[in-house]
Amino acid sequence: MAKMVKANYSKNKYGIGQFILTVILILLTVFFAAPVLLVFIAAFTDEVYITQHGFSFLPQKWSMNGFNSVLRYGSQLLRSYGVTIFVTVVGTLLGLLIMSMYAYSISRRDFRLSKFLSIYLLIPMLFNGGQLSGYIVFTGYYHLKDSLLLLILPLCVTTMNVIILRTYIANSIPYELMEAATIDGAGDYRTFFQITLPLMKPALAAVGFMMATAYWNDWQNALLYIVTDSKKPLQLLLINIQKSIEFLLNNSNVPASARAAMGGTIPQYSATMATVVVVIAPIMVVYPFFQKYFVKGLTVGSVKG
Amino acid sequence: MKGFMQNMWKNRAHVIMALPAFLVLFFIMYVPMAGLVMAFKAFDYSKGIFGSPWNGIENFKFLLASKSTFFNMTRNTVLYYLLFTSVGTVLNVALAIAIDNLILKRMAKTMQTLMIIPVFISYAAVQFIVYAFISSDTGLINNALGLNIKFYSVARYWPWILLITKIWKDTGYGSVLYMSVLSGIDTSLYEAADIDGANKWQKIAHITIPSLIPMITVMLLLSVGNVMRSDTGLFYQVTRNSGILYPTTQVIDSYVLNQIFKNSNFGFTAATSFFQSVVGLLLMLFANFTVRKIAPENALF
Repeated sequence: MAKMVKANYSKNKYGIGQFILTVILILLTVFFAAPVLLVFIAAFTDEVYITQHGFSFLPQKWSMNGFNSVLRYGSQLLRSYGVTIFVTVVGTLLGLLIMSMYAYSISRRDFRLSKFLSIYLLIPMLFNGGQLSGYIVFTGYYHLKDSLLLLILPLCVTTMNVIILRTYIANSIPYELMEAATIDGAGDYRTFFQITLPLMKPALAAVGFMMATAYWNDWQNALLYIVTDSKKPLQLLLINIQKSIEFLLNNSNVPASARAAMGGTIPQYSATMATVVVVIAPIMVVYPFFQKYFVKGLTVGSVKG
Repeated sequence: MKGFMQNMWKNRAHVIMALPAFLVLFFIMYVPMAGLVMAFKAFDYSKGIFGSPWNGIENFKFLLASKSTFFNMTRNTVLYYLLFTSVGTVLNVALAIAIDNLILKRMAKTMQTLMIIPVFISYAAVQFIVYAFISSDTGLINNALGLNIKFYSVARYWPWILLITKIWKDTGYGSVLYMSVLSGIDTSLYEAADIDGANKWQKIAHITIPSLIPMITVMLLLSVGNVMRSDTGLFYQVTRNSGILYPTTQVIDSYVLNQIFKNSNFGFTAATSFFQSVVGLLLMLFANFTVRKIAPENALF
């Protein structure tokens, strides 16, 4: 509403200024979107065309072979998809549940531990052990090398997300409502699960979406900890593909004709891009539905909790 | 004490509800903090962090002696932080103002949706996109210019490549926060300016930008705490972790990651990690202290 008013009184409504602004913004949109588009085009470009003419937005020859090669290492792709989906879903749901419970507990005014728990939550944001120490503790002391737990737990509870949830509870859910529920005889658990949690939906959607993309895109923990093929998530599969291409390119003993002949089995340009498409497409499909929530989440997170 | 115990018993449900996240934080975040003591030890994997013998500040002497590695990565870390933060902030704000000034609101919304997409692509995938542009034989840039620049083996190109990649990935998303501030500006200010005969630029300079200054200040200050931490994927994945490029691309985080994979030099790496964490803590405290002075409602604690 406010924006419409702002637009209406503007004197030079569709003047030259607006025209220039529109052109600039269109160019910028192209700058942001074109590289993503290139991935999709390259995935459908003929392999030989790419080796001869390079990547192109307007290739002369199209082909489905990239996707056919992807299907050829299909079982690994399916497994990796399964691992990524499992980690994303379990991690996001678990994280949302335990973080909201924590946020709910520290927002109770009569709970004497809440001050301590708030500080306990804040410290990891200020100080942390770093990657090396974490690596040695997780593998040497917990013996979790090659365990999916190390893909789930490190991203499960983050200070910023708990702060967003706590701020939402404090600002958007009337404290009296929760007190009234208690007075009416609802236990603490019931108050949380039946009153607070359902009212937290917008915040949960925002945090949940950000968590899900973090899980989906996490390559670092996978690279550090996962060894077995059957536990490799999609991002690690992408990294492995890059490494095998590098091996092929650095190995000058392999003659060009032999490389071309191997094109089917060893991932090449179009096949690689097809894999990238397979990895990034799900987020792009889901993201527009969550856009309004995470914009809100971002705004809430920037205000003090 | 009795009162405290009573309060705990009364709130036992809240204690139980806080427990799972408490434990995750404890095992994932707190225990590795204790692991930082390995910076003062002669680390032996078979004895573990806590069983290895102490060796005082040996590791740190080693750190200061190895000028090329340690100073190079610290310099890179800090300079990239300064570059990304300064350019990033200007572009985030400029983009937010530009989109906000577009009269075709529906078009603005669509543009914004498209501009945010790159932030959701992992660096493991971004790496292939960058490759498609700059590879020496199949890359778009070399083909378009008819050149054969070997980007992946010349270190001096990389500050530019990384900057453009970073701008491409984060600017759309970075502008969202400022957009939300802009939509909160009181429109009567603009109306008054119109009546006084202000033009578009005057309105931006005297109303829009001053309204954004508090948010810009807070975001900048809070980012100070992360000077020592980098976007690891950018430096590790996009550069293909190529050794030739290290002079301009090695940052502390990517160095530590490499050492973990090489399984070597843990004393040196632990000292680096310790340095990184402690400097990070000091900067964070400083940043929060400053925010507290100028905008208490935005302080973290």
